Amino acid sequence: MNLFLSKEDLIRWLDALLRQRVLVAPVRVQGLILLQPVSKVAEVTLDFGNTTLSPKGWFLPPMETLFSVQSNDGQQKLVPTTIEKDAVIFGLRPCDARGIALIDRPLLREPSDALYRERRARTSLIGLSCRQAQPECFCTSMGSAPNDPSHVDILLTEIDNGYILQVITEKGRALLSESFAEYKGTLPKPPEPGAVPTKEVVPAVKKLFDDPYWERLADRCLHCNICAYVCPTCYCFDVRDYSDKGSVERIRGWDSCQSPGFSRIAGGYNPRVTKGARLRQRFAHKLLYFPERFKDVACVGCGRCVRSCPVNIDIREVLRDLQQLEVKSGS
Amino acid sequence: MGLENPFVPYLATLKSVVELTPDIKLLKVELLDPAVRAGFDYKPGQFALLSAFGQGEAPFGIVSLPQHRDGLEFAVRRIGTVTAAIHELEPGDILGVRGPFGNHFPLEDYVGKNIVIIGGGIGMAPLRPVINQILEHRNDYGKLLIINGARTPQDLVFAPEFQAWMEAPRTKLELTVDRGDEQWRGRVALVPNVVKEVAPSPDNAIAITCGPPIMIRYTLAVLKELGFRDSQIITTLEAKMKCGLGKCARCNVGDKYICQDGPVFTFEQISQFLEQP
Repeated sequence: MNLFLSKEDLIRWLDALLRQRVLVAPVRVQGLILLQPVSKVAEVTLDFGNTTLSPKGWFLPPMETLFSVQSNDGQQKLVPTTIEKDAVIFGLRPCDARGIALIDRPLLREPSDALYRERRARTSLIGLSCRQAQPECFCTSMGSAPNDPSHVDILLTEIDNGYILQVITEKGRALLSESFAEYKGTLPKPPEPGAVPTKEVVPAVKKLFDDPYWERLADRCLHCNICAYVCPTCYCFDVRDYSDKGSVERIRGWDSCQSPGFSRIAGGYNPRVTKGARLRQRFAHKLLYFPERFKDVACVGCGRCVRSCPVNIDIREVLRDLQQLEVKSGS
Repeated sequence: MGLENPFVPYLATLKSVVELTPDIKLLKVELLDPAVRAGFDYKPGQFALLSAFGQGEAPFGIVSLPQHRDGLEFAVRRIGTVTAAIHELEPGDILGVRGPFGNHFPLEDYVGKNIVIIGGGIGMAPLRPVINQILEHRNDYGKLLIINGARTPQDLVFAPEFQAWMEAPRTKLELTVDRGDEQWRGRVALVPNVVKEVAPSPDNAIAITCGPPIMIRYTLAVLKELGFRDSQIITTLEAKMKCGLGKCARCNVGDKYICQDGPVFTFEQISQFLEQP
C-alpha cells in the first residue's frame, strides 16, 4: 500500500525522526549539496539533482579512528571505536542506495568490516526518486533506475502536491510513527537517463587489457583522485597511525588507485608505475574484477566522476570506446 | 558494539631479537592472551601484520613453525617507516599482531617429491619455515636442494641455521653472493647462474623461489630451460597491504587479491594473471 504525505506531513515526520535519531539529509553548503547530520528540518534542501558526494562517507568515513592505544601504568590497551547512535539518511537517490548495496559485498563479507557493519545496521535509508535525470546520469544502464526501490527502506516520490511513500522493508516500517493517508493514484513515470553499454563490455576489458588505449586515455589524467573521491562504489582505503602528545590512533581513510604510490611496496618496487596502468586499474576493477567476485559492475551510473573530472575522462566514453575497440579487434 | 573488530590487533610482547644481517632482525613475539596464543594456528607461507603502534602496520611472513609453540618469528628487513620502528623495539616491548592471513605452501601435496628452494636476500624469510618443515619431516620428501644468494656474505639471512641444513640427510645447500669479502671462500655468482650450474632435475620436483623481482625473472627462465613447467614452480608474492582481509584493495593485482588468493602462487597461475605483479 502506498501512502501520501503532504509537504507539511513530510516536515512533521522528519522532525519526529530527528528527535529519535541522527537525521542525515541533503544540505546546501556553499553551492554544494552535502549529506550531513542536521539539527533542524529547515536545514534540509529538497531542491537538488544529486548530492555532491555520495552517501558512502556515512558508512565509510573519509577518515576515521579504528582504535586508539591507551597506556595505563605501562600497560597498553587497544580501545576500538564504537558506533552508538541510530541514524536515518533521508533523501538519498536510488543509484546511491545501490552503491551502498554494492560495497556491502566486499565490506560485509566475513570477516566483516566492523565499523561499516555497525553503521549499516544502525542506519535506515529513505530514498528519494529522481524527477529529472541529470545530463551525466546513466543509472538504468547499471542495474538501477530513477525510482528503484531495491536498496532503500522507504522510497519517496515527489508529485505536485506532496510525496508518495512506499514502505520497502520492515526497517522502513519502523520509521513510521503516525499513519498517513493511502495514496490510490499511480506512480509517476520516471525520467529516462542516458544509456551506455555495460555488461557486454566486460569481456572487452580482458581482451584489451594490454591495448595502448589505456596509456592514451591516461595521458591527460592528473591523478587528482576526484573520481574515487566522489564515487559511491570506490571503497579502497589506507590505514595509518597518527600519534600526537603521547596518544596513538590507528586511522583509516579513503584512498585511490590513481595515486602513484598506491601499490608501491617498501623498497620501491611498484607493479603499477604508469598512469595508463593505474587508470586501467580503476576501470578494470569496476568493470571486470568486481563483477567476477561480486556479480555486478561496480558503477551505478550516478555520473559524478563525469561531472567532476577536470580533464573530462568520461566513463561513458570509455565504455563506448571499449565496445568499439572490441568490434574492431574482431571477436 | 562489543563485536570483534578484525582491524584491532592482538597484543604481543617482543621476546627476543637476533641480528641476522646488518639490516635484518629475527624477532620472536609472544601473544599476550593465552587463549589467543593457543588458537593461533598457521602454516608455512602464511603471513601476519605487525604493528609498531604510532608508526603503523605492515605484512610479514611468519618464519617459525606452528608445532614449536614457542612464539611467532618474523625476519624483518629495515626498509621503510614501519620496519624502522619495529627495529627500534626491544625485548619486553609491546607490538600488535593480526593474522594469520593468506594461503600457504601446499607442502602436503609435495610429499615424495624432490624440493628445490631458491631464495635471494630477504626472500629467504618465507622459505625458512618451508625448509625447516621439510627437515622435520625429512622422510616424507625426496632430495632437498637449497640455493641461497645475497648481496654479500654478511647479508645471508639464516646463517646460524646453515650448519643444520647442510648436515641434514639428502640435503644440499648452495650459497652464493654478489660480492665476496676476504673470508668468503664460496661462490661469487648471481642466483640464476648458480641454478643453471647446479642444474636440478625437474623430474618429480617442485621449485620454490622468492627474492627480488629481477632474480625471480632470470631464475624462472633458467628453471624453464632445465625443463621445469610453470606448474612446478612456486613463489610467494609481496604486495602493499593495509588490511589483510580482502577489503582495502591495495594488494589487488589483476583479478587477484594477494592477501586472500595468495601470497603463494604457482607460475602457472601467475602467467594467467591479467596484470603482472
